[in-house]
Formats: sequence, structure tokens, C-alpha cells
Amino acid sequence: MLEIKNLHAKVEGKQILNGIDLHIRAGEVHAIMGPNGSGKSTLSYVLAGRDGYEVTEGSILFKGQNLLEMNVDERAAAGVFLAFQYPLEIPGVTTMTFLKTALNAQRKARGEEELDAVRFLKLVREKAKPLNVSDDMLKRPLNVGYSGGEKKRAEVLQMSLLEPALAILDETDSGLDIDALKTVADGVNMLRSPERAMIVITHYQRLLDYIVPDVVHVLSKGRIVKTGGKELALELEKSGYAAFDADAA
Amino acid sequence: MSEKTTQRFIDAYAVSHANLPGADGWLAPRRAAALAAFAEAGVPHRRLEDWKYTDLRRALEKVDIAAAPVHQGAVVLPERPSSSAFAGIDTHKIVFVNGRFHAGLSDTVKWPKGVERHSLADVTHEQWAKGLIERRFGQTKQAEDIVDLNTALMADGIALRIRKGVSLDKPLHLVFVNADDGASHTRNLVLLEDEASATIFESHIGNAASFADIVTDVALGQGAKLRHLKLLDDAAEAIHLATLRTTLAARAHLEHFALTIGTGLSRSQSFVAFTGEGAYAGIDGAYALRGTQHADHFCVTDHAVPNCTSHTLFKGVLDGASEGVFQGKVLVRRGAQKTDGRQMTQALLLSRDASMNAKPELEIYADDVQCAHGSTVGELSHDAIFYLRARGIPEKEARRLLVLAFLDDALDRVPHEEARTAMRDLVSHWFGEAA
Repeated sequence: MLEIKNLHAKVEGKQILNGIDLHIRAGEVHAIMGPNGSGKSTLSYVLAGRDGYEVTEGSILFKGQNLLEMNVDERAAAGVFLAFQYPLEIPGVTTMTFLKTALNAQRKARGEEELDAVRFLKLVREKAKPLNVSDDMLKRPLNVGYSGGEKKRAEVLQMSLLEPALAILDETDSGLDIDALKTVADGVNMLRSPERAMIVITHYQRLLDYIVPDVVHVLSKGRIVKTGGKELALELEKSGYAAFDADAA
Repeated sequence: MSEKTTQRFIDAYAVSHANLPGADGWLAPRRAAALAAFAEAGVPHRRLEDWKYTDLRRALEKVDIAAAPVHQGAVVLPERPSSSAFAGIDTHKIVFVNGRFHAGLSDTVKWPKGVERHSLADVTHEQWAKGLIERRFGQTKQAEDIVDLNTALMADGIALRIRKGVSLDKPLHLVFVNADDGASHTRNLVLLEDEASATIFESHIGNAASFADIVTDVALGQGAKLRHLKLLDDAAEAIHLATLRTTLAARAHLEHFALTIGTGLSRSQSFVAFTGEGAYAGIDGAYALRGTQHADHFCVTDHAVPNCTSHTLFKGVLDGASEGVFQGKVLVRRGAQKTDGRQMTQALLLSRDASMNAKPELEIYADDVQCAHGSTVGELSHDAIFYLRARGIPEKEARRLLVLAFLDDALDRVPHEEARTAMRDLVSHWFGEAA
């Protein structure tokens, strides 16, 4: 599904990623853990194709295609989804309009038929229900006035509706209390499937109690310094990141 | 000796005044006095505070200001959506071409009882028309000098009088088509007597290097209600100068909305004066400019009496090397207690070469009032564009969504539902035309 080789990237002239190798197969959930500044968010933005994140070396293959040659919206239409750490508030665009525009833009890009208002509404209600996203929330401007939990549930709803092949969850646990975290994790777990891969980026082990990964990677100074099973997260929780410092390794 | 452009208008007066409406009555000396005042002040230039951002004098140097020809034959309307924006709405349509009433393009209307519609020439001898023309809005002398030019040269216009308690049955749609180069000076008079109501749409379109000078004088009686919508989309070479002057008696209600999506250079002025308590004036607008278009919205609201409310919201997007100007002033006179005056202007720059000058002002001489004003100028958020694109929305569509979202709360204030939809569609189409 995703093959990252020797990935180096710069942001504003500063080298952040220093040779990442990562291979993720369909159906797998990989956690990427690391301290602040280790390059976790940079990796997620490089995968999504954000401007200003310059790849200086290495390659990324997604379903056999060269991801680096695609722009942001092409990547999304091809099946890359980034759940934002801080979803943006967009006044004046209702969540419903946004979802419909996004879904139909992706369908159009893939040469599929666009959904009319009736079919779209039916679909979005079906996807919103288990996430506890109300009609009222859908009618409000995107993320405006949403609580932290509502924003993250809205992100999971977008993911559920857009059905990406690869979902990248960037610090989805930040700003959530334990109940909100459970709701969001349940939503994510429902979307686990043999056809879908996920990258769960987190600073803390807590999220991984709820979204249990198949593989855990530790990122330090822009490189993966250790890879293991889900027990690696527990080990990190005990020993801290210092033991995995890239310079010490 | 007057400066050149001013002199050209003085010359135009010399050739035309004997044939202008009201040449045999009180209006003739009034025109002469207005011309003298105009000659004294001259065409406004940038050294005047109220004209600091719009150099009308220089703009007029480049166009023919001799009277545009009277045009009674077939007229080719510009092939733009604005030409038919309100076509789906049931209205009484009255068309002016080059500033002159055009019977062939206008609806033949059987006006309801209590609604009188005349041409300017028909009413100059009537007291109500005289009253409207003679009113002074003296607090902003400089901005008003230019009205003297219109008073001296006004050639045609609509005069609408709605009797006490009568409602106009459907919107009056005034279409101003500038089909040929040259100047036109139009004066519209609107009197709504007590408890009367009306909705008026104005469309300004054209395909010429024209100078359209339009003054609309409105008086609202007690409890009268006027909804006034203006759509401005004239040619890239056209100059548009419009002045809307409204007095509101007690409990009168004015909702004005202006959408500007075209015209080379435009100055849209609004003067509101409250003369009775409990009245409301909403002076709102939106604009979307590109190329080298220049649009100046100038609004003065005079709270001379207590307990009135005024609301102004103007939002605009500027692309290319376009220039936007907003100048607004809320004047609260001594004794105008319990005034609620709000004014906000916001602009979004879509290009590095676009510019915006905003000057919101409050001038308050009463101590028990609620007044607020604000101004912002910004650009589209890169983060927001990235967020939308990361969900698969192509960049251009993402930008269109965000621009429409930005203008949305202004467009919400269009005081007519179908026209609001039509105006939203025009803005959406405007964005679609971008390269």
C-alpha cells in the first residue's frame, strides 16, 4: 500500500526528516510515536502534500503510484486521508456542503458518478449516526463552535464518508477527554478493514489502548529508531523517549 | 477659468440647458445656481478628503463627457449574466438607455391605485418633487458638491410616488443600460408616503466608455418601508457615479444593498438622514473586483434624532490590480440619544497587486448611544485551502468556496430572497471567470 524509502524533507530550509523507511501493507495499523520535534507531523504533511514541505531525497510509492508527483487534492482522490490534529474552522461553509463538495470532487476525479442531494443525505446520515453527529452539527459552519471532541468526530465522519485507502491520524488524541477519546477510537476501529491501512501518530501511549496497532515505530530526529509490536508502546511509556534518542542509538 | 474637465461640463450645460426638463419654471434658476456652485468647486480631485482615494477628475479626463446619444432603437445588451440576473423575478421593468427612458424595452405597466410613476420632466413643477430636489444634506459638503453637477444637467429619470398606506405590488426594476460613449445625468425621485412600501431593483450594465451620473432622492414617510437593491456591472471603460440620498421619518425602514461586480471606476454614495425617531437604515453591500477596476463605497449616516438604528456591512474581494475603497461615517448629533449605529467593512485580497483603502469613522456628540465600527483587510487562509484540498477539493473550487463563504454574511443581507439567490449566483459566476 505505502512504501517510503530514505525520505528526507525540509521545512522552511530546516532539515526535519533524515531518511525514513516505512512499509505498510493493506489492513495494517502502524503507530508512529515520538517526542515533540521528532518529525511526526512533518511526515503526515509530506504524505498529504502540503506546500512548503520539500522532499529533498527519497521516494514514496502509494498503491504503486509515485505520490510525490501528485498534488494535494489528487492524493486525496487517490485515497490518502489526513485527519488533522487541529481541524480548521471554516465560517460560511456548512459541514454538509463541505462533505458533499469533497465527496463529489473525489468521485469526479476518479471518474465515478456524483451523488445527488437525496442519495448524499441518506449516506451522510447513515455514516453520522454511529459517530453521534447530529443533523444540527451538519448544518453548522464547518468546525465553527465545535468542541474539541466534536471536531475530532467530524474528522472521523469525513474519513468514514470518503473511505480512504490510507488514513493518517495526526495526534487525534490531543485535546480529548477520555469519553471523547473512546468515541473517536470506536469510530476509527469501525473503519479498520483488510483493504485499508492506517498510520496513527501520537505522542502518548494512551490512544493505543483504544486503537491497537499492529506495528509501532519510534521516531527520533527525523528517523525511525526502533520498530516493534504493540508492546513497544508500553515500553516507551515506562522508559520515556530518552532511551530511544537517535544520537544515543 | 475653470480646470479643463469642469469647463467641459460648463460647456455641456451651455448647449443643453434650454432643452432640459423644467426650463420654464423654478428649476431653471436652480440649475444655474447649481452650475455656478459646481463651477466654483470643480470636479472633485484627490486633495479633497472625501475624494482622497478616487480621482474622479483624472478619470473623467479620459472619457467623452458630451451627452450620450438618445437611443430609441434596438439595443444590444452585454452578454453577461448580470443582464438577465433578475429575469426570473416578476417585476415592473423600466429601462433607461444612455440615461433616457426607453419605452420599447420597458414593460407597459398598469400601476396599482395609489402608485404614480412619472418621468422627471413631468414632475418638476410639482411641490413634492421640488421638495426632494431642494433638500440639503449639508453635513458633508464636499461629497455633495458633485450632486450640483447632476442638478444642473439632469435630463431624465423616474419619479415614483406611492400614496399613504399603499404597497407597490411587485418590485420595480430599473435597468440602466449605457450603450454608447458619453455622459448621462439621471435624477430619480422616490416618495413613499406614510406607511407605504416598495421594493426597487436597479441594474447598471453597459458596453461603452460612458459616464453615468445618477442621483436618487428618496423620502420615506412615517412607517414607510423601502427595500432598494443595486447591481452594478457596467463596462470596463465605464465610469459610474451614483448618489442615493434618503430621509427617514419616524419608524421608517430602509434596506439598501449594493452588489458591485463590474465597472471600470465607480463611486457609490449613500447619504441617510433620520428626521423622526424609531427608524432603521441598513446600508450594506458586497463587491468583487478584478483587473484595474476601482470601486469606492462612500456612506454617511446622520443620526439627528434619538432612537434610530443604522447598520452598515460592506464586504469585498479584490483580485488582479483592482482597488477597493470604503469610506463610512456615522454622525450622531447632540441629543440623538439611544442611537444604535454599527459599521463594518471587510476585504479579502486575492492578489498581491490588489489594494483596499478603508476609512470607517464615528463622530458622536451624544452620550447614551451604542456605536461600533471596524475594518479588516486580509487574504485567503493557506491553511484553510490546504484543509479543503486535503479532502479532495481542487484548489480553484476550494478558493471559490472560501470566497463565497467570506461574502456570505454580507449577501445574507440582500433584502429580497430571489434577488439574494441571483446575487449569490452572480458572485459564484464572477469567481468562475477567473483565469
